[in-house]
Amino acid sequence: MSSDQTGPEGPSPPSYQLATWVLLGTAVVLVVSLFGVRLEQRPETTRDYPVRAQVPDALAVLMPAPPMSDEYMPCSDCHAEEPANRTPRELEDDHDDKKLAHGDLWCLHCHSADQRDYLHLADDTLVPFENSWQLCTQCHAKKLRDWRAGVHGKRTGHWRGEKEYRTCVACHDPHSPAFKPIAPKPRPRRPEEIAGGSSAIGEHAHDGL
Amino acid sequence: MTASDRDREAKPSTGGSESADASRRGFLKGAATIGVGALSGVPTAAKALEFDIEDFFRKNFRELSDEELEAVLRRVEEKYSNRYGKQVTVSANGPMEGVVFGYGLDVSRCVGCRQCVYACVDENNQSRDPEIHWIRVLEFEREAVLRGINLEDGNPYYEPDQVPQEGKFYLPVACQHCEDSPCSQVCPTGATWQEPDGIVVIDYDWCIGCRYCMAACPYGARHFNWGEPNVPAEEINPNMHIIGNTPRPRGVVEKCTFCIQRTREGRYPACVEACPVGARKFGNLLDPESEIRYLMENKRTFVLKSELETKPKFFYFYGSSVTR
Ligand code: HEC
Ligand code: HEC
Ligand code: HEC
Ligand code: HEC
Repeated sequence: MSSDQTGPEGPSPPSYQLATWVLLGTAVVLVVSLFGVRLEQRPETTRDYPVRAQVPDALAVLMPAPPMSDEYMPCSDCHAEEPANRTPRELEDDHDDKKLAHGDLWCLHCHSADQRDYLHLADDTLVPFENSWQLCTQCHAKKLRDWRAGVHGKRTGHWRGEKEYRTCVACHDPHSPAFKPIAPKPRPRRPEEIAGGSSAIGEHAHDGL
Repeated sequence: MTASDRDREAKPSTGGSESADASRRGFLKGAATIGVGALSGVPTAAKALEFDIEDFFRKNFRELSDEELEAVLRRVEEKYSNRYGKQVTVSANGPMEGVVFGYGLDVSRCVGCRQCVYACVDENNQSRDPEIHWIRVLEFEREAVLRGINLEDGNPYYEPDQVPQEGKFYLPVACQHCEDSPCSQVCPTGATWQEPDGIVVIDYDWCIGCRYCMAACPYGARHFNWGEPNVPAEEINPNMHIIGNTPRPRGVVEKCTFCIQRTREGRYPACVEACPVGARKFGNLLDPESEIRYLMENKRTFVLKSELETKPKFFYFYGSSVTR
């Protein structure tokens, strides 16, 4: 398991790692069934990184990541011919919308330099965009644990039965992952705005606590 | 609520009997002698205004036999299917074996967007006008909260363009489903009680609208239905539970039921589904693998007004030690 970037909680306790390995056998089978199609598309890799094998839960269904932005084009359309420019810099052509605000990361910490249609882990294992959670949780290992348990992020469907997991990119833009502020829904009405006189005021004043 | 309001509303509803243990049954006996006509003539007996004689005279939910319950469900289904012009199903799914529900809310994630509030309104057929919200999201100064949460300081009326606002702390509050629920203890008619799975429910046909429970609830989580319930037919949720989201008659008290119509089918409550930041967690407290147990064992949790020893089953927690 890789280091934990999320702060003071420290690395996962050994018992968890043990459980992880015990789970691994069954998990691999599950990965194949859940990501069967995607696995076939994935290029040959030299090593199987443990993190990737950890599906959240036997009854888990990973919800597809939201679609890419409208401007999305297969990366290799432009990058297949061009050699990678590994120098960290502010991009001016084409990707000027990608203003990184993610620790001090540079594009190629996440995107593969040579196979631009893929992400890559620290050991150079390639990961397709759809499975980006495997990339995120490599650095955010503590979050992986909470996410699997359903406590970080979000599960919908059934508290007993099939659970739909949102992957990290459903809520976090990988390029600037802080949660973006949103408009709140309308506030409740104030007592004085409610027709019906004093009794209604009573109810709402009490509610207001 | 002022004392005079309470008097005005309480007296006619409890009928001739003023004693604290005045039961619905006792009340009905008294009513029989003066006649039903006289009863419905009492102007402030809110209950009488939408007078459905069969609902009014049926036994308490807990005393119904299987056949009687079945008959009630079919009758209520028919009533609402006709009223709203679509097929309504009314279930009475009971508690599941080995399940006690617990709720978790991550206060380090909540941004105060109120999406849960309106998902709840839609799911649970809350009256739109007069407006009833079972969930209230309170805004606090973050500074003040560091010294302890005082519910009375919370502001439910915040309306900035965007949330979260710098320096603010948001706390959604609904029924806490207390183990020692003060509300059910003060109910004079036995219309509200705690089920074996921990859900505090209300039998709307037995509620007389006296609102003692509202006064007793330390969390302001119970709401009085002042007007004719107003839910447009196209917005009615037809998947109903008899002691859950059936449209409430005028003049009764209502509140969160952990979405009993969903959760007793194994589904998550509507607010859990709606929360955009994933702050809301729900599960079986008796299951060591559940998310609620995980957060209780791995996160810093607290309950509201713990000094009252109401033993809520609604746990607030800090999912992250990082503060925004
Ligand atoms: C329309 C052509 C085009 C497409 C499509 C495109 N890129 Fe690029 N990309 C560029 C250009 C041009 C640069 C150099 C920009 C600069 O130096 O200012 C660049 C630079 C980059 C860099 C910086 C490293 C380097 O080699 O210069 C990364 C990382 C990158 N692109 C990733 C991607 C990814 C991932 C995709 C697909 C999701 C993608 N690009 C799709 C044109 C494209
Ligand atoms: C923390 C890892 C990470 C870093 C750093 C990163 N990306 Fe990405 N990027 C991703 C992931 C993951 C996706 C897929 C997002 C999805 O599935 O919605 C992606 C998608 C993209 C896309 C296509 C989707 C879109 O929104 O247009 C482009 C283009 C892209 N990245 C370019 C870049 C460039 C250029 C940089 C450097 C300036 C960069 N990325 C830095 C992880 C990263
Ligand atoms: C190569 C390691 C690495 C990868 C891969 C990575 N992160 Fe991060 N992430 C970091 C670092 C470093 C920080 C900054 C930590 C800090 O400030 O304490 C960070 C911070 C964050 C934050 C907090 C941002 C804030 O401003 O509060 C979020 C959210 C986050 N990452 C989500 C993701 C997601 C989602 C992915 C996958 C798309 C991802 N990370 C992939 C290293 C990584
Ligand atoms: C349902 C939405 C959601 C999903 C899914 C989600 N997160 Fe988050 N995450 C949040 C919110 C909201 C915050 C608070 C961020 C903020 O205030 O900017 C957060 C915060 C974080 C942080 C910052 C540290 C902290 O605890 O505040 C990291 C790192 C992070 N998430 C990583 C991940 C990773 C990795 C995944 C996937 C395994 C993931 N998140 C999935 C909503 C989500």
